[in-house]
Amino acid sequence: MRARLGNLGPMAAVAGIVVLLYLPLVVVTNYPLAQRALERGAVMDCDGPLACAFVLRNPVIPAPGQLLAGIYNLMLPLNSPNAIPLNAFWTGVETLVGLGLAALVGLLFALGLVLSRAFELSVLPWIVASQTVPIIALAPMLVVLLGQYGVQGLLPKAIIAAYIAFFPVTIGLAKGLRSPDSLALDLMRTYRATTVQTFVKLRLPASLPYLFTAFRISTAAALIGAIIAEMSTISFFGLGKMLSENARASDVVGTWVLMIASAVLGILLVACVGWVERLVTPWRR
Amino acid sequence: MATLNSSLAGTARRETAGPPLTALLALVGGHALLLSFVLLWWETTEVAPLAWRTSLYLATLLAALGLARLATWIAEHPAGRLARFLPAALTMILTLLAAEALLRAHQVPAGLIPTPTAVLTVLWQARDVLLQDTWQTFVMEAVIGFLIGVGVALPVSGLIARSGFLQRGLMPYAAAFSSIPIPALAPVFVHMFGLDWQSKAAVVAVTVFFPVVVNVVRGLLEIDPRLLDLMRSYAASDREVFTKARIPNALPFFFNALKLGTTLAMIGAIVGEFFGATGTGLGFRIQIEAGRFGFDIVWAAIIVASTLGIAWFGLVAWLERRFTSWHVSLRE
Repeated sequence: MRARLGNLGPMAAVAGIVVLLYLPLVVVTNYPLAQRALERGAVMDCDGPLACAFVLRNPVIPAPGQLLAGIYNLMLPLNSPNAIPLNAFWTGVETLVGLGLAALVGLLFALGLVLSRAFELSVLPWIVASQTVPIIALAPMLVVLLGQYGVQGLLPKAIIAAYIAFFPVTIGLAKGLRSPDSLALDLMRTYRATTVQTFVKLRLPASLPYLFTAFRISTAAALIGAIIAEMSTISFFGLGKMLSENARASDVVGTWVLMIASAVLGILLVACVGWVERLVTPWRR
Repeated sequence: MATLNSSLAGTARRETAGPPLTALLALVGGHALLLSFVLLWWETTEVAPLAWRTSLYLATLLAALGLARLATWIAEHPAGRLARFLPAALTMILTLLAAEALLRAHQVPAGLIPTPTAVLTVLWQARDVLLQDTWQTFVMEAVIGFLIGVGVALPVSGLIARSGFLQRGLMPYAAAFSSIPIPALAPVFVHMFGLDWQSKAAVVAVTVFFPVVVNVVRGLLEIDPRLLDLMRSYAASDREVFTKARIPNALPFFFNALKLGTTLAMIGAIVGEFFGATGTGLGFRIQIEAGRFGFDIVWAAIIVASTLGIAWFGLVAWLERRFTSWHVSLRE
């Protein structure tokens, strides 16, 4: 769903309401905490529980000022290995490489599904069943396993992202390869096109919109895969590394900032996929 | 369809009478060799000699070829639902048997890849722990969170569908919110609601909420205008239009979101536990055991989670068939 100009007014109004509701929410959730902290005689740089609700070190919901300060602290310097931009970049790269891998392997499987009924009968039920399975559960094990066989660095994370994106991509591609209508196929036959030519010139381009629909569905899933993969192993970069470090240090403001950053990354990646789609399938506009 | 079937059957009768005998032989022979090796090597802890290993690979290949030939034959012939499922079942059996035999032949350490029988043994031995984990993850977190998410999403979508302002103001956010990765949500919620099941249920509720809202609103709005005209010509009230036209129109969308939601709920519960749990839960078990190479338990937990996930999905699909049997996609 794309934001249109007419939506901007209502969107801004809703955002305004949310911002207005946010402040009372901060006070309501943090006030008891602040009160208890003051009763216990904690030394805080504020007077009264109301003021202290905005500067708690461990707030339930961080105050807007804290959030802004947190964003400032975690975003800068831009090229620091401990700041968000570089880490988010690597996680994004892992996700995109994973999507590329998923497209390659998915193409092989989709070819099998389209070319052989026997393959479809034997394998498709398991592909469909695996869609309903929390595949993410495999990620921690796969990371350790791949590490044992010397696959390290960016690749295992991309493989896991690919592994999670693979199923929608396969199904989408198989659907897309079958999508050309019989008129177009007949036309190719009248041109005396070989099977390979029909494939490259008709079936493959026809499958692209389906591929990108699948990509848009699986980008969020692939991102989850990349983040979980980063968490499940010793990694030196990535949002997953930052998330697990912050969660372990119970840096509340940090986890909030990372949540926002991951959301932005997710939205950017989906937008990126949409951009590539417009580039690759210009005839669809 | 009937004529197509009979014509297929006609060609089949001309070609062969029964399933291809060589394929069946290859299939049974390959399985027999794999099985006899597993039984023979049951107690042995040495790497099998090269001759055995080669013949195991050949047996797997042979059985796979036989299976492919048999599946082709089944695909070309009219068959019942059970026969259609046969190739898939055989694929699973062959995969498990080949994995068992090859892992034993190479003596791959259980700390890397456990054999299927080892996983089943652990599944049985650790059933008490896994049952507890299942209760925590599935019932307390996934199902409760799912019900809360859906329960809140339905009235909200009703409201959004009635107000053009909310549609234009909220829906773009809802689409954006769906792309928040769950693991980024989990630490925040774990801190807010504590280590126990409530935080994971909250993660599940939030992840289920958005797809349901997006889909149900679409279902309530994307309605054939002729249907609305018809309702108007019947002098139907606003309420009647809503209950008799819009809600039935939204049902297929709703069930699609529910099916998506079952998967998301399982993922949310499991991933949520990666960020903090009270010592039970399938996700907690998976993470702890993967860290200390207890992959047999990890696999057992994955089997439990997968079975539950598939059963849950099946239940929703069954409900869908019951309540939207009139819909084009299900009519046949």
